[in-house]
Amino acid sequence: MAKEESPVYESLDMIGTGAYGMVYKARNRKNNTFVALKKVRVPLSDDGIPMNTLREIALLKQLDTYEHPNIVRLLDICHGQRQEKELVMYLVFEHVDQDLASFIQKSTILTNDKIRNISREILSGVDFLHSHRIVHRDLKPQNILVTENCHIKLADFGLAKTYDFEMRLTSVVVTLWYRSPEVLLGQSYATPVDIWSIGCIMAELFMLKPLFCGTTEGDQLSKIFQILGKPREDEWPESNVPIKYNSFEIKNKLEIRNLIPNLCENSYDLIMKMLAFNPYKRISATEALNHDYFSEEPLDI
Amino acid sequence: MPCWYYDKKELRNTPSALDNIEYDTEMRYRKEGARFIIDTGSKMDLGYNTTATGVVYFHRFYMFHSFRQFPRYVTACCCLFLAGKVEETPKKCKDIIKTARSLLSDAKFATFGEDPKEEVMTLERILLQTIKFDLQVEHPYSYLIRYAKCLKGDKAKLQKMVQMAWTFVNDSLCTTLALQWEPEIIAVALMYLAGKLSQFEVIDWVGRVNKHLRWWDMFVEDVTMDLLEDICHQVLDLYSQPTPTTAPDSPPLLPRPAQTTQPSSSKTANGQEKEKPEVPEPNPPSVPAVSIPDVPTYPYPPSFTTTAPHASAYPPAYTNPPVVPPTHIAAPPPGPPPPHMAGPPPGVPFTPYVAPPHYPPVVATGPYYAPTPPSQPHRPYYPPPS
Repeated sequence: MAKEESPVYESLDMIGTGAYGMVYKARNRKNNTFVALKKVRVPLSDDGIPMNTLREIALLKQLDTYEHPNIVRLLDICHGQRQEKELVMYLVFEHVDQDLASFIQKSTILTNDKIRNISREILSGVDFLHSHRIVHRDLKPQNILVTENCHIKLADFGLAKTYDFEMRLTSVVVTLWYRSPEVLLGQSYATPVDIWSIGCIMAELFMLKPLFCGTTEGDQLSKIFQILGKPREDEWPESNVPIKYNSFEIKNKLEIRNLIPNLCENSYDLIMKMLAFNPYKRISATEALNHDYFSEEPLDI
Repeated sequence: MPCWYYDKKELRNTPSALDNIEYDTEMRYRKEGARFIIDTGSKMDLGYNTTATGVVYFHRFYMFHSFRQFPRYVTACCCLFLAGKVEETPKKCKDIIKTARSLLSDAKFATFGEDPKEEVMTLERILLQTIKFDLQVEHPYSYLIRYAKCLKGDKAKLQKMVQMAWTFVNDSLCTTLALQWEPEIIAVALMYLAGKLSQFEVIDWVGRVNKHLRWWDMFVEDVTMDLLEDICHQVLDLYSQPTPTTAPDSPPLLPRPAQTTQPSSSKTANGQEKEKPEVPEPNPPSVPAVSIPDVPTYPYPPSFTTTAPHASAYPPAYTNPPVVPPTHIAAPPPGPPPPHMAGPPPGVPFTPYVAPPHYPPVVATGPYYAPTPPSQPHRPYYPPPS
């Protein structure tokens, strides 16, 4: 796609081509800072810009006024060109060079302290989102940014309905690895899905590789059950389940403790509470932040 | 990123002013635009929040554009259209235009051009860019109700006071107050005014602390009496303004792609431009909704000076809103959920000149209210990032 030009932002290179459209690194000509330009295509209906998009943008703008330290700043919004049936908009975010995926990739070991700080900051960002009725829905190392000082900033939230349009236009595969069972089973879902993702990410911080790497919904579930065990049959959702309870046969059961030998008691407990199969029994972000794991002595091995 | 509050000097130095529109004329255009949004909204059964949001967009829009370039009724329609979507009470563009058509004279509706809907649609993007996508707007209503819950005293009188204050808040939309002060402060000022006019003196309130001299010290800081009276006067002035029958109805319009031809000064309209039989506007300069037979000195209670003090007379204490350090927060903002989700919609708020609006339901329940001392004296104010 041709490079878009704007009088203020000079786009440099493409940072990402997620399922949600493209992200460019760009330079703000006015103050010579770098920004991340997120291109969003908005369908124009008979009644202009869709309500869902407007509401999501309104909320994003409002959230930004709180300047939460673990949320990426939304600096500006601009229109691109308008076509017959769609409008291109650019959301201008602060630019952070590194995401958690590349951070993990280049790490050979993470100290317990560091893991604890990263986990706490992810949780406090998510807690903030949840307190504003936003479910991230797609937390993963790729959209968790890590600043130079090793602080966490969450990105890519709050536009789920707006992205819907873009999603239908692309065929990019979305990773399943951080998806909660209720999402994989096509159930309705809410804030607990984000906690599941954080549980996976925390385990990944210890292991330095992903915890559950499924290739399909079913495969992802069996990877989950292989480690966590199959849930009781009465915990299986009752209606509209495309995947049957009996279709899983778990062999070679693994134990998290074996996968992560250096897991301390508190972190194990917290991760297991985040990976509860039943979303209603899963720990909330606020509760997680109050977990003993975050108040224990910094015992670094 | 602009801050959406302006001082009086800035309000006199608007794009319209630079476009040779006199201050009084601009204020009239703002009032007419706001009134039109209110009337259109209430005719379409839109709630008070949607209507008020539309009006705030309207006022903000004209801090960046001139009334000469953008005719006010088209802008007003667009503001209401956008507010409808943002407040989750969407109305079809064509229905808004239809309603507008029924409320406007032919001459006024002519400003919508050949294709009114296209006109509004095009304007939507200009509007969004102008108001910088700052779509979420707070209004004094919710604060009014929250504050009223804390006041003690005769229940009937309190209700009357709240009802009157509610009407004042409605009418304040026709002023530029929303461009000057935060909704909390406007709520306090207009409750103060309503209290005076309805002779409801607040002696005690829930959550009273020794250091509080006035009930509102609990909610807002550093609000001087001068400031309150100034706000009250801006609203009261609405009722004493004669409807200008001689003033030109519209500024001579420039063709949209801003032509540079002389706008032929503001006084073009020699009776020609004037509305045919300029029917008095539906807002007679009389008492607002509720009649207050027992207040003889209306509209100016004795304690008011006759003219509002000049802006420079204010102590500098309140040039900026009290700033709670914009640190990160870890909890939801204080207060009830957003009004569109759990609002206590008082029945028919926007019929101030027809019938008194219903009481906000919360006020009508029970004699006193569970003490809800606020956790902080003032809404945390986070300045927009610069």
